[in-house]
Amino acid sequence: MKKIVVFVLGPDRPGIIAAVSKTLFEQGCNLEDVSQTILQTEFMGIFVASMNDIKNEDEVLAALQAAISSLGLFVHMRPMSTGLSQQPAGEPFIITTFGPDRPGLVAGITEVLAHNGVNITNLKAVSRGDGDRQHYIMIYEVDVPPAADYHAMRTALYDRAQTLGLDINLQHREIFEQIHRV
Amino acid sequence: MLTEREIIATLEMLKNENLDVRTVTLGVSLFDCASHDVELFISNIHKKILRLAGNLVDTCDEVGLRYGIPVVNKRISVSPVAVAACNFSAEQMCRIAMALDTIARRLRIDFIGGFSALVEKGFTKGDRALIEAIPDALAQTERVCSSVNVASTHAGINMDAVALMGRTIRRAAEITADRDGIGCAKLVVFANIPQDVPFMAGAYLGVGEPDAVINVGVSGPGVVKKAIDRARLSNPALDLGQISETIKRTAFKVTRVGELIGRKVAARLDVPFGVVDLSLAPTPNVGDSVGEIFQSLGLKSIGNPGSTAILAMLNDAVKKGGIFASSYVGGLSGAFIPVSEDLNIAEAARKGHLTIEKLEAMTSVCSVGLDMVAIPGSTSAETIAGIIADEMAIGVVNSKATAVRLIPVPGKKAGDRASFGGLLGEATIIDIPDDGGSAGFIALGGRIPAPVQSFKN
Repeated sequence: MKKIVVFVLGPDRPGIIAAVSKTLFEQGCNLEDVSQTILQTEFMGIFVASMNDIKNEDEVLAALQAAISSLGLFVHMRPMSTGLSQQPAGEPFIITTFGPDRPGLVAGITEVLAHNGVNITNLKAVSRGDGDRQHYIMIYEVDVPPAADYHAMRTALYDRAQTLGLDINLQHREIFEQIHRV
Repeated sequence: MLTEREIIATLEMLKNENLDVRTVTLGVSLFDCASHDVELFISNIHKKILRLAGNLVDTCDEVGLRYGIPVVNKRISVSPVAVAACNFSAEQMCRIAMALDTIARRLRIDFIGGFSALVEKGFTKGDRALIEAIPDALAQTERVCSSVNVASTHAGINMDAVALMGRTIRRAAEITADRDGIGCAKLVVFANIPQDVPFMAGAYLGVGEPDAVINVGVSGPGVVKKAIDRARLSNPALDLGQISETIKRTAFKVTRVGELIGRKVAARLDVPFGVVDLSLAPTPNVGDSVGEIFQSLGLKSIGNPGSTAILAMLNDAVKKGGIFASSYVGGLSGAFIPVSEDLNIAEAARKGHLTIEKLEAMTSVCSVGLDMVAIPGSTSAETIAGIIADEMAIGVVNSKATAVRLIPVPGKKAGDRASFGGLLGEATIIDIPDDGGSAGFIALGGRIPAPVQSFKN
C-alpha cells in the first residue's frame, strides 16, 4: 500500500467533503485522516488516503479534478513521504497575544519561534472589534524542543511582543487542561 | 486541542481576577534536630532547613513562570517547637525563634510557622516555656509565626491554657505597642488545629507528618466574585442553588491550579506532596476580597442579616468543588474572614455593619474564626480569654477548626485605626463590651470536658 495526500482549497460551500470522499472511494482509496479549516469564506481541506500500489495516482487526480473543478475548487495531490524520522516531542506550551491590529504581528512572533526551533502545532489568529478599535488575538499551540533555552526564548518573545505593542503570555499547556478538563 | 474559550477564560482568571497560588509551604520536621544543647539544636535546624529549603523560593518562581501562575508567598512550617525543643527554657525558646527568623530572611521566606504548642489536654515543661517566650519572641522577630492549640473535640477546652493565652496576647501587644501590637498579628489560638495548614499564622508541621512535605494554599476570592457576577449578568434569574453551582465549579478550577503547581514544586524539590488547602484567603487589595462576594450575592455589606447563611453556602460550595478537584485536601479549607486583611470586611467593621458578635456567629460556619480583629488596647486579659473560650467552644462542639487572632491595640480605643503593614493590612478597632464580667468564669480554670459527639469509637 502507498499513501497520497490531497489538498483541496477554494470558496466554502456545502458538498465539498462529500465530493472528495466519494471520488476517493470510487477510485479504491481508503481515507485515513481528514482535517478541514474555514477562514471567513475560504475552505481548505487535507486528506490522507492509502491506495493499492498498482493504482495510478494520475487517474485519481484526474477523477478528483473532474469532480470538484465545477465547484470552483483547486486540488493538489502528491505521494506522501513515509519513513521520515519524527522530531523528538517537545513540551507543549500555549502562547497568547492580545493587542491593536497592525501589519506584521504574526510574522513578528513566528520569527522568534522559528529562530528557537519551536514548532507551531496549532494557530488561531483573529481580528476583533470595529472601526479604529480593531484588536488582534493570536493563540499558538507550540512544542518547545527539549534542547531549547526556555528563558532566552521567553525573554525574546516578550521583548518582541513589547516592540509590536502586544500583551503576551507563555504558559505550559498543562495548566489549561487541569483547569478545564475533568 | 484546546478551545479558544478555554484559553481566554483561563487568561481572564489570571489577568483580571487575581488567580494565584497564595502560598507554597514546605513543612520541615525538627524532631531529628533535638539536642540537650540549645546551640547544637539551632545548628541542626539551620543545616536541615537550609538543605531542604535552599531552593524553595527559586523553584516556586521557576514553576510559576513556566505555568504563568504566580506563587505569591513561599513559606516554611516546622514541627511544634514546644515538642522538638521541650527541654529548653523560655529564654532559650526565644533564641530558637530568632534563629528561625534568621533562616527565613536568608531564604527570602516571608513567614516561618511552628513556634507552637499543643496544650488542649495539659502542659509539658516545653509548652510552658514556649508560651512564656511568645511575647518576646514575636517582638524580637519579624517573620516567625506562633500558634497554640488549646482545645479539641476529643480533649475539650483547656481553660487554664485559655486564661494563659488571654494574658499572653495582652503581653505580646504591650511589648509591641510602638507598632500597634503587631506581635499579636503573628499569634493565633486554635481549637482542632489541622496538622497540615499552609496558611499563616497557624502553619506548623504536625507530629504525624513526614520529614518534609509541600502543602499548598490556593486562594481566589476575586475569581469567585467575578464568576458570580458573570453568571448573574448572563442570567439575572439565577437562584442560590445555581449560584452555588457556579462557586463550586470555580473552586474546582482554582484547586486544580494549586495542586498542579504544588506537585511540580514538590517533584523538583524531591519531597512528597501533601495537601491543597482550598481556602478563600483575601489580601488587602481591591478585587481580592471575600467581603465583596457578599455584595455580589445581594447584601449591602458583609455583616447584614443573611451574612451567616451566605458564608455557610460559600464555605460549603468551595469545599465541594475543591474535594472533587483534588484527592488530598487538607488544612483549613473554606472561607477566611480576616478583618484587617480584607479591605471590604475592614470597611464593614468601620461602618459598624460588622460587630464582634456577628463575626463570632459567622465563625460557626466558616473555616477559621475571629481573625485579625483589632480590639481596644484596654481590653482585659480575662475578657480576651472569654472571647477565646467562646470561639473554642464553637470549634469543639462542631468538630471543626476555629481560631482567634485578636490584636488589643495599645493606647487605642474603639473607632481608632490600627495599621499592621503589608499583607496584615489595617483596620478600625472594633468595640468590645468589657465590664470585667468574664473574670469570675475564667478564674475557675480546669478543663471543660470533651463533648458527647467526640465519642465515636
